[in-house]
Amino acid sequence: MLRASSEAINGEVKIGQLEDGANIEHGSALVRYAESAVRRDSDLAASRNRLLELAGPQALIEAAATVSAFEGLNRLADATGIQLDLGLADESADFRTELGINSYAGAANTKSEGSAVRADNVLGIFR
Amino acid sequence: MALTNYDSELGIDPMFSSTHTDVWQRLGDCGTWWTGAQRVAAMSEVRAAFNCHLCDRRSEALSPSMVKGSHKAVSDLPQEAVDLVHRLTSDPGRLTQDWANTVIAALGEERYVELVIIVCTQYVIESFASSLGLPLPELPQPGDGIPAQVRPTDVGDVGAWVSQTVDKTLANVSRAASLVPDTEALWRDIVQCHYSRGPEFAELVWNRALTRPQVELLASTVSSLNECFY
Repeated sequence: MLRASSEAINGEVKIGQLEDGANIEHGSALVRYAESAVRRDSDLAASRNRLLELAGPQALIEAAATVSAFEGLNRLADATGIQLDLGLADESADFRTELGINSYAGAANTKSEGSAVRADNVLGIFR
Repeated sequence: MALTNYDSELGIDPMFSSTHTDVWQRLGDCGTWWTGAQRVAAMSEVRAAFNCHLCDRRSEALSPSMVKGSHKAVSDLPQEAVDLVHRLTSDPGRLTQDWANTVIAALGEERYVELVIIVCTQYVIESFASSLGLPLPELPQPGDGIPAQVRPTDVGDVGAWVSQTVDKTLANVSRAASLVPDTEALWRDIVQCHYSRGPEFAELVWNRALTRPQVELLASTVSSLNECFY
C-alpha cells in the first residue's frame, strides 16, 4: 500500500530505506515516532514533539491513530494465523525477500509466494 | 461519564473520544463466549503483561518456548487464557500454530478468538493514549449476562489457524475474527475510526492530515517492528 499510494501521487518511495523515511515527506520523523511508540521508549515525548513541530497537531493525532491501529491489526493477524491475500502476495513478491520479511515467523502461514504482479487498485491488492 | 474523554491541547477529533468511549464500555459487556467479568479480567491481564517477568524474559530469549515459568497473573482466568493474553500483548510476532492449537484445545476456538479481539481492541485504544502522552482509561465496569455461546453457521477452514467466514469480500484480515461476530463488531468500529474510514479505504489518495503514503509508512514501520508478515 505504501508503494501503490505513493505512485498515485507521483511520488518515488524508497521501500529499501524504510528506516530513513522512504523518501516520504516527514518520513524520518514519522518513523522515529512510530518506533518510540511501539517500543515505548523513553524518547517518545521527544519524538512526539518533533513530529508535532514538523507536521502539526492533526498530523500527530493521525499518526497516533495509525500506529495504534496497526499495533492491533498486527496482533489480530498474528494470533489468527491468516494467510496473505493472493493480491497482497503478488504485490509484495518483489521486495519481501530483500527486506527480510519472508523470515518472519508468520510467513509460514502463507502457502503462495506470489508472482510479482501489480494490482490495478486497492481492492485488487486484497483479492 | 466518558471513559475516554481526552483532555488535550491537541484538539483531538471527537470521533476518537466517542468511538473509544462506546467501544471501551462494550468491551466490558457480556460476550458470546466469556462473561463481562471475564472480559474485564482479560483486560487487566493485558496491563499486567507489561510488568510480567516471564513475558520480559521470553521477549529477550532466542525463542519464547525456551523460557518456562508462570505469568504474573492478576485474575482467575484459566492459565491458557492468561498465556494467550500475555503473549499476544508482549510478543505477537513469534506466536506459532502449535502454540495456538494448544491454547485452542484448552479454551475452545471461539473463546480463543473472542479473547484475541478483546486484546487487540484494547491495545489500539491504549496505544493511542500512550502514544499521545495521555492517561489510560479506567477499565470498564463488567456487564451482566450469560454468554449465549452461538457459533455462526457460515464459518469454516479458510487456511488460517481459526475458522472464519468462508465469504471473502475484502482482505483476509477483515474476516480474521468473524468466528465471534458480536465482539468482532467492536474491532470493526475501532479500525474504521482509526484507519479504514469507509469507502475512502479503497482510494489511494486520502484527504486527511497525513497523506496515504505517510499513513502507510507508519503502518509498514509498525508491522516491521512487530515482525508481522501479514
